[in-house]
Amino acid sequence: MNTVDEILDYAIEQEQQAADFYAELALRAEKAGMKQVLLDFADEEMSHKKRLLAVKNGKHELTPEEEVLDLKISDYLVEVDATDDISYQDALIIAMKRERAAYELYTDMAANIPDSHLKEVITGLAKEEAKHKLFFESEYDDRVLMDN
Amino acid sequence: MSLKDLLSPFFVWQRAFEKPWTNMRPIEERPGAPAYRGFHINLADSCIGCGSCHSICQNEAIDMVPVEEFSGRPGDSGLRPRFDYGRCCWCALCVDICTANSLHMSNEYTWLARDPTDYHFTAGVEEKPWQDSELGYHRAEGYHLYPPKRIDMDMLTADESVQSFDEVVNGYSEEQAKLEADRCVECGICVATCPAHMDVPDYIRSIRDGDFETGLQLMYRTNPFPATCGRICTHRCEEVCPVGITGQPIAIRWLKRFIVDQVDSIDYARILDSEIIENGHKVAVIGAGPGGLSAAYYLRKKGYSVTVYESQETGGGMLRYGVPSYRLPDDALDKDIDYIISVGVDIRYNTIIGKDVMFEDLLGEYDAIFLSTGLSVPSSMRINGEDHPRVLSGLQVLADVARGKDPGIGRKVAVIGGGNVAMDAARVSRRLGADVDILYRRRISEMPADPEEIKESQEEKCNLVEKAIPVEIMDTGSKKQVTIKWGEAEMVQDPKGGRPRPVLQEDRMHTETYDCIISAIGQGSNLDFITPAVQEQLAIEWGKFTPGEYQRSELEKIFVGGDVANRTADAISAIEDGHHAARGIDRFLKPGAYAEN
Repeated sequence: MNTVDEILDYAIEQEQQAADFYAELALRAEKAGMKQVLLDFADEEMSHKKRLLAVKNGKHELTPEEEVLDLKISDYLVEVDATDDISYQDALIIAMKRERAAYELYTDMAANIPDSHLKEVITGLAKEEAKHKLFFESEYDDRVLMDN
Repeated sequence: MSLKDLLSPFFVWQRAFEKPWTNMRPIEERPGAPAYRGFHINLADSCIGCGSCHSICQNEAIDMVPVEEFSGRPGDSGLRPRFDYGRCCWCALCVDICTANSLHMSNEYTWLARDPTDYHFTAGVEEKPWQDSELGYHRAEGYHLYPPKRIDMDMLTADESVQSFDEVVNGYSEEQAKLEADRCVECGICVATCPAHMDVPDYIRSIRDGDFETGLQLMYRTNPFPATCGRICTHRCEEVCPVGITGQPIAIRWLKRFIVDQVDSIDYARILDSEIIENGHKVAVIGAGPGGLSAAYYLRKKGYSVTVYESQETGGGMLRYGVPSYRLPDDALDKDIDYIISVGVDIRYNTIIGKDVMFEDLLGEYDAIFLSTGLSVPSSMRINGEDHPRVLSGLQVLADVARGKDPGIGRKVAVIGGGNVAMDAARVSRRLGADVDILYRRRISEMPADPEEIKESQEEKCNLVEKAIPVEIMDTGSKKQVTIKWGEAEMVQDPKGGRPRPVLQEDRMHTETYDCIISAIGQGSNLDFITPAVQEQLAIEWGKFTPGEYQRSELEKIFVGGDVANRTADAISAIEDGHHAARGIDRFLKPGAYAEN
């Protein structure tokens, strides 16, 4: 990946894969109400994809300088499996950890790319993923950690 | 006629051009004395429309009228006083009784208007020149027509209470209850706020009248758990009690308890008129908690044959297995449940739906089903090492104690969480002889537990550690101990608004070893007993039902309520859900009876 378009295409593809992952999991989900939650997650990923498409088309700009709050909730949670009887809590853990992994990937990529323009784009993508992580961590904070 | 008489009008006319001897306004306008009882001023924003002014007015000069801009405010009737100056005698009793201290009088006393109806006005809402006057009659500071301080409740001291599971609150004597009841201004703001809309002013009046049987009848109209709610209700009624604005709110919960404690359960059937006319319909209730048994009671009173399916060995749900006996003794809960059973409610204990009885069979067998299965599954912390055998669930500890079993907590305990289950797990641990740390992620002021639970847990020497985030559970090599690693949090404002969020400070970690760790970070529902085909037709969000009118689900014969279907997750809301669903089921099964409505 040597050009901005290549990097953005990769990021867009990642968002599509995430949406497909939740949609497929929704088909398998057994617990009451979980299908809708997972479909909502898929919609959220598609909204991320749209945002990146808008960046690629020049209609939206990434904001690499923006500070994003890191609640660090997912950093200390165990890995969970995407089983058919997945619970709300585990679905959120999976979502948080996926966003965290994407954030770390882009952060590492940015650190190893000498081209300053590319570095700025990738850092912008990392910030996007940090925002997505914050979204799911806030959901976890509000819905799972209510009494804690 | 003489010539003088003939000419006199002309002599009078000549004076018409002279300077008059009279004044247009006969006296100089003088201001009223500084504390004069002149025209009324109402600080309408502070007023909550309690109507005490209306009730006390001996001349019936005050009406309470709806004012659009105040409609729907919590703890506010949306009404404001409208004065009739054709009746007012400016005695100022209305000012003296005003619970919100929003009503005053200006020292203005002249007001000219041609239309007599102008002298009817809604103070503070209709603009008047004297509204901002600082002079005039104000109630003297510290002066109250009713005692502002509530009658103290006799309670065990914290040192005494941790010695046993005896009830902490001893209850009012008759003399104390009557004195406390005397403070009520009968405004009824509490009725609107109570989820069950209990007739608080009237049952408090029954105490003043010494007529406890009427009090009991009034309570059972909307709540078949008065002995329970008289002890552990979240008492939102007291939060809006107008007497609490300038003093302490009426002890509504303790007065409810007083009434129930005065009536022997053997007299309930006579007092509450247990005659039931069978209507031939059958309803199943799943869950014998407050929601399920409330629905069962009101359905039975309407003549339904009601069968309650309960997975545990006795009824009460979280009231039995989640609320310790020092707050709610078994005999008080049993008093409520025994009467519900006595009207003919059939409870099948130790029966698990989906295992012992299939849900689809109930759907076929009964005319309607009410689901109220509560939140019985403890949430997991999902941190490393959580499956350590010395990590216990708060719900399990409380259930063990309720069953008389030793939960085996040891002598040094950490409780994780800030809700009522966490507070009760901590207080139970103190009674079992343990030293207790409560670790909570946020600040004490943000704890979801009842404020009095937090206060009493601190008085009982539970050590509350705020802004403490658990990150790992570690084995100590001993089967009797476990170590927890937790980090300090900083509260950070969420850029999107809402309450501040705790952020772990990774450079400020702590480790501590305990005999056990009790996890009480919340609980969720278990709806696995509902067949997938039925589940797909029900609206379920994050493990909770989203009921429609009369607690009805998307399936016409299924109604839902209690913690699994509301946000408040307290007993009184579950009780109201059950009552509401009973009315809904009655409308569903007997539509002809409601045709005119």
